[in-house]
Amino acid sequence: MSAILEMKNINKYFGDFHALKDIDFSVEEGETVAIIGPSGSGKSTLLRCINCLTRISSGSISLNGTTFVDTPSGGEAKYIPDKALKQVISETGMVFQHFNLFPHMTVLDNVTYAPIKVKKVPKDKAVARAEELLNLVGMLDHKDQYPQMISGGQKQRVAIARGLAMDPTIMLFDEPTSALDPEITGEVLSVMKNLAEQRVTMIVVTHEMGFAREVADRVVFMNQGELTESGTSEQIFTNPQSKRLQDFLSSMIRA
Amino acid sequence: MSYIAEILPPLLQGAVVSVELFIITLVLALPLGLPFAFGEMSRFRPVRWICKIFVFVFRGTPLMLQLFFFYFFFPLVLNIDIPAFPAAILTFVLNYAAYFAEIYRGGILSIDQGQYEAAHSLGLSRAQTTFGIIVPQAMRVVLPPVSNEAITLVKDTALASVISMSEMMRVSEGIVNRDYNLTAYVVAAAIYLLFTFLLTLVLNHIEARFSTYTRREN
Ligand SMILES: Nc1ncnc2c1ncn2[C@@H]1O[C@H](COP(=O)(O)OP(=O)(O)OP(=O)(O)O)[C@@H](O)[C@H]1O
Ligand SMILES: [Mg+2]
Repeated sequence: MSAILEMKNINKYFGDFHALKDIDFSVEEGETVAIIGPSGSGKSTLLRCINCLTRISSGSISLNGTTFVDTPSGGEAKYIPDKALKQVISETGMVFQHFNLFPHMTVLDNVTYAPIKVKKVPKDKAVARAEELLNLVGMLDHKDQYPQMISGGQKQRVAIARGLAMDPTIMLFDEPTSALDPEITGEVLSVMKNLAEQRVTMIVVTHEMGFAREVADRVVFMNQGELTESGTSEQIFTNPQSKRLQDFLSSMIRA
Repeated sequence: MSYIAEILPPLLQGAVVSVELFIITLVLALPLGLPFAFGEMSRFRPVRWICKIFVFVFRGTPLMLQLFFFYFFFPLVLNIDIPAFPAAILTFVLNYAAYFAEIYRGGILSIDQGQYEAAHSLGLSRAQTTFGIIVPQAMRVVLPPVSNEAITLVKDTALASVISMSEMMRVSEGIVNRDYNLTAYVVAAAIYLLFTFLLTLVLNHIEARFSTYTRREN
C-alpha cells in the first residue's frame, strides 16, 4: 500500500489566527478516512488545502506522487506553476455541503461539463460515462432536469457523480449531508458507502458518527487546529485516548 | 386627419434615425460594458482605477453635457470634424456601456462563492469559469435591469436633438415651430409609446426564455 496523499507539517494562518497546526496526514489508496471534530477545529480548512481552495502557509503536500507544494526550511510554502497545479487539482473531486451544482445546466451537463472542457473527453464518451455515474447514484432518470427541480439529497448525489466524472484519484467530502433533512441523509450516505466498498479513495468531513464508525477505515479527530487523534474507527469510537475526544464523542451522542 | 398624413412621413423618417441610434447603441454598448465590469474588479490597480473613473464620469454627468462635449468640444480640441450622428453614437455607447458595466458588476458579484469553488475543484480555468459558469448565471440576474436601461434608451435618443441630429424629436420640434401646431408632438409621443411597447414585448420574451431555471439553488 502506498500513500496517495501525503501532507507533512501543514500550517495554515488566517492573518494571525493559526488554523492548522503542524499537521501530518496521509491517505492510502482505496482508503476511506473520516475527519471528525468540533466546529471551527479546522476540518474544512484541512480538506480545502488538498485541492488548493485554501493555500497552506507552510508544509508540503503530495498527491499521487506529485509534490505540488513544498516549503524550503525557514521559508514560505511554494506551489508549483499554475498550469501544473490545475492538473493536480483536477485529480481531486470535491463534494460540498451546499452542493454547488451549476444551476444553469441540466443534471447531465453538470456532470459532463468539466470532462469535456478540462480533459477534452469527446462529447459522446463524456455523456456515456456521465450516464453510467448518474445510474450509479440513482439519478439517471433526472438527467435532463435542472438542479432547482430536484431535492437536496438528489442534488448531492448529482454532485457526487460530477466529482467522480473527472476520474479523481481522491474524493473529498465536506459535510455532504449537513444541509439535508435528516430523513434524506440516508440516500446520500448509502451512495458514499457504496463508493467506499468499491475502494474509491475518499476523505469525508462529517458529523455523522454512525457513518464514520461504520464506513471509514480510519478516523481522525481534529481539535483547535491540531490533529489530536487518529486510528481505526474501532479505536476511535470504543477506545478514545484523549480527554478532548472522549468529551467530543459524548457530546455527539447526547446531541 | 389629412394634417397627420402630411406630417407622418417626415416624423417616420426621424423615427428611423432614432431606431438606428437605439440599435447601434445597444449592439455596441451591451458587449462593451463587460470588459469595463471586469476591469472594475481587476486585480491590477491601474486597470481597476481607469474603469472606475470611466464609469464614475459617465454616470455622474448629464448625458446632454456629454453630447455637447463629443459634438462641440472634442472636435475643437482634436481639430477634426465629427458629424452629429457619429458623435451621438460615440456618446450614447460610452454612456450606456458605463451603466451596463455597473449592472454587470452587480450581477457577477451576486453569484455565490460556491460556484467558483465548484469550478475550481473541477479544474476549470479562469476563462472557463468566467464564461461557462459565472456569466451565464449573471446574465439572468442582469436581464431585468438591462431591460430597464433599454427602455430608458428609447427615450434618451430624443436628447440627440440638442446636437441637431434629425431624429424624431428634432423633426417634430421643427414641424411644431413651422406650423404653430402641437399635433406633431402628440404623434411623436404615440410613436415613442409604440416603440417601448414593442420593445417590452421582445424583452419579456427574452426574459421568459432565460427563466428555464430559477436563480439560485439551496
Ligand atoms: N477564510 C478564512 N479567513 C479567516 N478565518 C478562517 C477562514 N476560513 C476558516 N477560518 C477559521 O479557521 C477555523 C477553522 O475553520 P474550518 O472551517 O476549517 O472549521 P471546521 O472544523 O470545518 O468547522 P465546521 O464544523 O463548523 O465546518 C475557524 O475558526 C474559522 O473561523
Ligand atoms: Mg467545515
